[in-house]
Amino acid sequence: MAEDGERRQGAIKSPQDLAASLFLLGIAVLALWLGRDLSTGTLRQMGPGMLPKALAVLLAGLAVVLLIDAFKEAGEELAAWSPRAIIFVLGAFCAFGFAVRPLGLSVAGPLAVIIAGFASNETKFVETLIFGLVMTAFCVGLFKFALGLPIPLAPWLIGY
Amino acid sequence: MDIIQNLGLGFSVALTFQNAALCFIGCLVGTMIGVLPGVGPIATIAMLLPLTFKVDPTGALIMLAGIYYGAQYGGSTTAILINIPGEATSVVTALDGHMMAKNGRAGVALGMAAIGSFIAGTIATLVIALLGKPLTAMALIFGPAEYFSLMVLGLALAVALARGSVLKAILMIVLGILLSTVGTDLETGEERLTLGLQDLSDGIDFAVLAMGVFGLAEILKNLENPEARDVVKSKIGRLLPSMAEFRQSLAPILRGTSLGSILGILPGNGAVLAPFASYTIEKKIAKDPSRFGKGAIEGVAGPEAANNAGAQTAFIPLLTLGIPPNAVMALMVGAMTIHGIIPGPLVMTKSPDLFWGMIASMWIGNLMLVIINLPLIGIWVKLLQVPYRLMYPAILLFCAIGIYSINNNPSDVFFTAFFGLVGYVFYKFGLEPAPMLLGYVLGKLMEQKLRQALTLSRGDFMTFIERPVSGVLLFIALVIIVLALLPSMRKEREQVFAGD
Repeated sequence: MAEDGERRQGAIKSPQDLAASLFLLGIAVLALWLGRDLSTGTLRQMGPGMLPKALAVLLAGLAVVLLIDAFKEAGEELAAWSPRAIIFVLGAFCAFGFAVRPLGLSVAGPLAVIIAGFASNETKFVETLIFGLVMTAFCVGLFKFALGLPIPLAPWLIGY
Repeated sequence: MDIIQNLGLGFSVALTFQNAALCFIGCLVGTMIGVLPGVGPIATIAMLLPLTFKVDPTGALIMLAGIYYGAQYGGSTTAILINIPGEATSVVTALDGHMMAKNGRAGVALGMAAIGSFIAGTIATLVIALLGKPLTAMALIFGPAEYFSLMVLGLALAVALARGSVLKAILMIVLGILLSTVGTDLETGEERLTLGLQDLSDGIDFAVLAMGVFGLAEILKNLENPEARDVVKSKIGRLLPSMAEFRQSLAPILRGTSLGSILGILPGNGAVLAPFASYTIEKKIAKDPSRFGKGAIEGVAGPEAANNAGAQTAFIPLLTLGIPPNAVMALMVGAMTIHGIIPGPLVMTKSPDLFWGMIASMWIGNLMLVIINLPLIGIWVKLLQVPYRLMYPAILLFCAIGIYSINNNPSDVFFTAFFGLVGYVFYKFGLEPAPMLLGYVLGKLMEQKLRQALTLSRGDFMTFIERPVSGVLLFIALVIIVLALLPSMRKEREQVFAGD
């Protein structure tokens, strides 16, 4: 930890803590803004807004302490992000969510596996396609038939 | 003897054909998913919750307990064979276990882990059976103020036990409690911080949150550091340890069990510390400490026993007080609520067959792990040889089906993806998700008890200090936080978590 920090010149000693504090500060401000209309009430009869507001203020206060620390104590650099993994992994997940009701597991399953495959550059398309079909068949057998979960299978084809 | 009668009732429930079969399936599937690298017990249980929906409440809880132990043991298997600990608690097992595997003693490491866990599980089951009654009696005299203070103590402990910066741990806990206030206010029915979204009016589903920050974020992390996997190429070798190895491990197992049993009872996820503490102790009292880190069997047996004992006694605060001490137990609460059981002191008095049946099934679950895992090791090794490029889409698919099936609601899937992103941001910003989950878990209950206590005291905060039990609990919490902030303790903490 210290090695990275010691080499750093300039005012910001810990970029990671700086980012973390700003992120948490942002959440606290968002919570305060969202809860602005909630009544606080009294200690004896607390309103719905009392705790969210108190917690948001506490979060903001502690985040400011972390912010100040980021200029004083050496810490870690910010690591690079990998947008490709984020887009395809989370995209695959959302695609499953969109497809599962109207199209059923038979479509949503392979779709999620194939989209997820794009997240890694080691993926081979044909292999992933076959694997997606096999895994889906396995999941249909396990979740639908063995366990009887009410997950739709292929409503467009067989009606459930 | 009361306890023998109670355990007898428990075994008569747990040993019906249906329940024993459920326990078996739970262990098997739990291990299968738990073995996958990067899938810890939390993600495993969140994923497998829907499996238990069709079963009656007792059977469901027995199956869940099986899944839980299976997931725990699967994590150890992964740690030993490929040096990727699924969760913080198996980090220690990876140190010596993986070295043993590299030296061609993978089988003995796995066998000893299983036997150590079994012995620990047996003793921990007895501890639960013994403490269940008195603690439940205590819980019944607890008022809202005492409950609130006990949870504050739990959070203070979580801060002290978290890895990394104390300030960041406190921040994450506060964030977790803040997240728990999202949803409809219990007393007035007003919507709070819901962004006007219908799906948030019941609050954020805990399984969704946990699966996002632990399951999906883990996949994102692993894709970033490609193939750090180090699958053991050498033979697994014999599974059963020799008599000499067993004798060498017995004392560490018993010490680990005591540590784990005590730490596991603490509210605030004390179980996390148990394997680290066990490893540190074994290394300190060893005749030749230099063997540690190079494949010392005590370094596997002790921490594994501690881990399993802690994992099991963590049920105590849940079953007696209704307070889930960690994220896994919070998932158990979710599962129990689905079946209409509200965990707490009343479970034992109202449905003793369920309570004791579950305790008995813990022991049976531990036994099954030894029986099924030792012969199945070969299959787990094969499973671990599947390249990650195929493994992560499969994990993702399981996660998606699991999360969808909990409420049959597609928007849960989208929220999980969102929390996956949040978990990735936490990772990039050096924020630990575990304290946040605990804050979230205890948040709702804390708010409820806080408001009740203040209504009873007519808005007087002194009630928390004036009531003796509550005051003492708060005082201990304060001492723990002060100690955690002391510079000398901070160093000590870092050393313990370095496993060295």
